[in-house]
Amino acid sequence: MDEVELKLQLERAHADCFGWAMACCGRDRDDAEEVLQTVYLTVLDGRARYDGRSTFRTWLFGVIRRTAASERRKAWLRGEREAGRREAGSGAREAGVIAPDPFAPPDAEVEHESRRDGLHHALGQLAKRQREVLQLVFYHDLTVEEAAAVMHVSVGSARTHYARGKANLAAMLGDAKEL
Amino acid sequence: MVDDNEIRQRFARLREADQESAPSFAQTYRRARARRSLRATRRVRALVIAAAAVVAIVAVALSYARSSSSSAVTPEITTWRAPTDVLLRTPGSELLGEMPALGASVLDTMIPKPSNTGT
Repeated sequence: MDEVELKLQLERAHADCFGWAMACCGRDRDDAEEVLQTVYLTVLDGRARYDGRSTFRTWLFGVIRRTAASERRKAWLRGEREAGRREAGSGAREAGVIAPDPFAPPDAEVEHESRRDGLHHALGQLAKRQREVLQLVFYHDLTVEEAAAVMHVSVGSARTHYARGKANLAAMLGDAKEL
Repeated sequence: MVDDNEIRQRFARLREADQESAPSFAQTYRRARARRSLRATRRVRALVIAAAAVVAIVAVALSYARSSSSSAVTPEITTWRAPTDVLLRTPGSELLGEMPALGASVLDTMIPKPSNTGT
């Protein structure tokens, strides 16, 4: 596949990819966009090659998932280093305690509260694999087999995550509805 | 409990919201290219700095080695003697290295004179 064709395929899948990147980045828009940028460069530079063993979208979702995981690791390491520097500088802050952001806009809290009641909050409560398989099946209309290929797990494992995740999600959404 | 249809509807609403807020492909691609060129510039700058540092270290090391080796070798050359120099010395060479004195015996130079302080 040449660069023009690759670009065309990426453009076609872009909206879908953004949704998946959002899911892989904990619904952080900036992180999702950064991951997508990295993925596009990786694909167009030929550092990730589509070998035709699955559909282009399934393969691309796999690349996005791996890139997001890698970016998360990097961010975690950066955070650890920065935390270390801050701790060395002040020495007053206890480890693991995150102070509230005094500069957060007043509506951020309201938005946060409203999110809690919705699908976003319920998804956040699920195990990572369960969340991923539900996102791939319900959001992106992939089959469980395709979801398994994206997640690099066996189909049986994906089915188990799907069944458990769906039951947990349904229960949580039902509880939220009753309240 | 909610059924599959409701879950599907909720995900569909989430998808619609995401698609409304999604940046266009062109925008994402443009930013990606800008990031790549920025990263390349940073990489070139880092390489130039590293190369300059290596050149500086090598230059300092070479000049140090040159100055230390020149000061160490000079005295060695001036004081060095070949191990076979001893073979060049022939018996009686000390006699041939001096001006002969008229009326004196060769033996005078070889036999020490007795001191005047004897009894």
